[in-house]
Amino acid sequence: MTDLPTFVNEPIGELRRSSVRDELTAGMAALEKKLPLRVPVWIGEGERHGEELTSEDPGAPSRIVALSAKATGAEVDEAVRTATKGFQRWSQTPAVRRAEILVKAAAWMRARRAELAALAVRECAKPWDEADADVCEAIDFLEFYARGAVALDRGKALFQVPGERNEMRYAPRGVVAVISPWNFPIAIPTGMTAAGLATGNAVVLKPAEQAPGCGLMVVRALREAGVPPDALALLPGEGDAGAALVRHPGVHTIAFTGSGPVGLDIIRAAAEPSARHLKRVVAEMGGKNCVIVDSDADLDDAVPAIVSSSFVYAGQKCSAASRVLVHEAIADALLERVAGAVEVLVVGQADTFGIDVPPVIERDAQQRVERYIDLAARAGSIAARAHTPAGCGSGADGLPADGWFVAPTVAADLPADSPVLGEEIFGPLLAFERVASVDAALERIDELPFALTGGLFCRNPHTVERVVRRTPVGNLYVNRPITGAMVGRQPFGGNRLSGTGTKAGGPDYLLHFVEPRVVTENTVRHGLVI
Amino acid sequence: MATPSASEADILAVGRDLAAALPGASRNPLKAIDDKAMDLASQDAEMRAALFRFVDVVPACRSLDDLARHLSGFLEEVGDRPPSLQVAMRMSESKAGRQALGAAAAAGVKHMAHRFIVGETPREATGVLEDLWRKGVATSVDLLGEATVTTGEADRYAARCGEALDGLVDVYRKLPERPALEADSAGRIPRENLSVKVSALTPLLRADAPELGKRDAAVRLRVLLRRARELDAHLHIDMESFDSREAVTDLVLELLSEEEFRDGPSAGLVLQAYLRDSPELCERIVTWAQATPRSYPLLVRLVKGAYWDHEIVEARQHGWQSPVFEVKADSDRNFEALTRRLLEARPAVRVAIASHNLRSIAHALAANRAMGGDDGDVEVQVLRGLGDDLQEALAKRGLRVRTYCPVGDLVAGMAYLVRRLLENTSNESFLHEQAAGRSLDDLLVAP
Repeated sequence: MTDLPTFVNEPIGELRRSSVRDELTAGMAALEKKLPLRVPVWIGEGERHGEELTSEDPGAPSRIVALSAKATGAEVDEAVRTATKGFQRWSQTPAVRRAEILVKAAAWMRARRAELAALAVRECAKPWDEADADVCEAIDFLEFYARGAVALDRGKALFQVPGERNEMRYAPRGVVAVISPWNFPIAIPTGMTAAGLATGNAVVLKPAEQAPGCGLMVVRALREAGVPPDALALLPGEGDAGAALVRHPGVHTIAFTGSGPVGLDIIRAAAEPSARHLKRVVAEMGGKNCVIVDSDADLDDAVPAIVSSSFVYAGQKCSAASRVLVHEAIADALLERVAGAVEVLVVGQADTFGIDVPPVIERDAQQRVERYIDLAARAGSIAARAHTPAGCGSGADGLPADGWFVAPTVAADLPADSPVLGEEIFGPLLAFERVASVDAALERIDELPFALTGGLFCRNPHTVERVVRRTPVGNLYVNRPITGAMVGRQPFGGNRLSGTGTKAGGPDYLLHFVEPRVVTENTVRHGLVI
Repeated sequence: MATPSASEADILAVGRDLAAALPGASRNPLKAIDDKAMDLASQDAEMRAALFRFVDVVPACRSLDDLARHLSGFLEEVGDRPPSLQVAMRMSESKAGRQALGAAAAAGVKHMAHRFIVGETPREATGVLEDLWRKGVATSVDLLGEATVTTGEADRYAARCGEALDGLVDVYRKLPERPALEADSAGRIPRENLSVKVSALTPLLRADAPELGKRDAAVRLRVLLRRARELDAHLHIDMESFDSREAVTDLVLELLSEEEFRDGPSAGLVLQAYLRDSPELCERIVTWAQATPRSYPLLVRLVKGAYWDHEIVEARQHGWQSPVFEVKADSDRNFEALTRRLLEARPAVRVAIASHNLRSIAHALAANRAMGGDDGDVEVQVLRGLGDDLQEALAKRGLRVRTYCPVGDLVAGMAYLVRRLLENTSNESFLHEQAAGRSLDDLLVAP
């Protein structure tokens, strides 16, 4: 294989052109003929179909998107054993050949881009632009890790002296268990799986129970591109399947993206040593992401950026903004404009172009967010709630009647110890706080156990530098929205309880999937260097 | 049917004649912005960045001290500082120095802004508008505003536009006749002319759902069109970035198709020649105009386009082919092709050539004459502060020139001001080339 061309991000769809929107609509029509998808437990060549698990359209829960089998304990064991065998051959496959297969999987997705985006729209209520970006990010991960793994396979330079040859190499670890979330239902499982496979590990993927259909597409892309069946298994299921998988002694590495409590359970379980190895955990967990707005901010930029960071995909991104801390000199003006901007947000079905806020993923999520909104109303005040324009729905609050909708809400005047300010809500609720200075904002943020993303609106270079030095977050965004990290451009991941500090889509990510090995060879024989 | 086109010799002759009418050479447009900072900015990319960042943040600074701290912060990032800036840096080290520096810098920016913005309110602009009219210059007033993100902001902007229409009637009804500005062969041309922005009329513009913003803006635009019809004023709908192009075009053509606006007001839209697909849009507009008889022909303002940098950056960040021509000469050539197409399409449309490029203007005037048209059937539009000399020359030659006059305070005007500064310091701009002393014949050569 010749060298791969330099990585470039897959261009996201230019949805401002009607021809591009028409392609996506056609993709939806094509997908709908195939629904519900049937998702098997898929181990080696064996497929076991079943209907124990269903995924529904969060905007119309009576619509079944996928009928899925649910992996049993025995199947978890079988999947890991098969992967252990598969690892023998896959790890010996040359890195360039593995990379070639990943690049083919990227091409597979590219060829089905509209239909894959449509699936994310249906199964997870991702609005079109977000769903399309999700597929592009999956393609990016495949292309990026393919190149990264080829580079890593060449090893790293070491100091050399006469008479010895030192080599630093990286070897795959074994079986990677991938536990993926529903909010980036194609990109994140693809990314974690691709990282494992590119570096020569075998992978067992347990996709989110809300998104088995998307999980199936990830495995199909990779298998049809040439990943051997025994090197990649699909285990649709719920939390118990995931728990059994991470506890399995045959698993070497666990790549997890999801909620904090589950992540901590995984880290605890993984600490139990297997007979022959230590398990390694790559975890991306929650956040409580804050945007600081200094008195010199340009509100014309800050308002739309804050609103999109908080409410795009109904706030269901680990990078989403949930608190905005504003310099008191401009707090009134900013609150008035943010409130007004939130009131005109269009709440609607994910498959409608131009909506701002789709439903949340499920009933539990809807109830959880509503509980926090109630808390905010009691302990503080509600500064704004969106309503929907006429014709968009007929349910209570003007929200579409069917589906797990929550009206985007801005809360203010909350006491410092309010759970609304301290806990991850993962929904369309933004808390607004006044601060005397940027430093006061930094103090408050520093009290949080999370450190994932953060935002700063400020035009004084000295202040920007001060915040950069003090903030603990993994990704700081200055004068722009705080979501939408791009592979290769914004390696993504948090610190503190937000994660293990790994950076998906960055130059160091693959190191978590390999073991470094050093070989030192004596090249002196009879006093001669040979 | 081939339309007779102007020869290069004709274009050159028209261009030379206009150039001869320009005010004295001492007042070239760049030097006229008697600010050394502008000269520095044109020469050095880092300086330019520092200047823009500073100008941009001025209205958001809380005190002179705050202002000076921002200025020194930006200047620190300039590698090679000329002596005058070293002085500024030293001043920023003490409190008293910062007060003085802040005051000087604020005055400088205000001065700069006044070159491009005619007043904080339409009332304040009265003197300028009257003065221009007496000199034989028509205007289009543009109300600068902060971005519209709420319904309240959209309503307030629409209300300001309504008041501005009333105010313009008050200004212009007292003024003497200027026949060249008030009629062409298609009939009356209103004196009062207001430019409005659709992005300010609705918070719901979404690039991927033009219908949404269009529906919301239509409610407010319809009210303004009615007001303009009652007052017999001209309402011009500006074009902005490519993201809103579909919504704005559809909105204007749909509303003007409505029966109630058949007999007025006079109205118009904008065609941006830097867009690769502008020839198709031009055809659509012409076809629409021919099929939609109105008592006032649609006025099409042909511009190069003011969002070039924005479009390029956005396209690069997303991996898209840019919707605009990347090479300036392509835009210039397209501008001339569109000029001819629009001139041919009269009387279904009226044509306004909005440019500071002497060649583009000379081409339009010569092409019009070659088609047997009267000079009075082409309007030339320029921007306040950038096209002042050209405006004078065009008026002196008895041509209809209309100057785009932004009105608003510094906070609201900053985005506009920075765009103008960018244009003014761009090495590729016609004004820059003119200031750099390129010969007239060079400047008039075909793109």
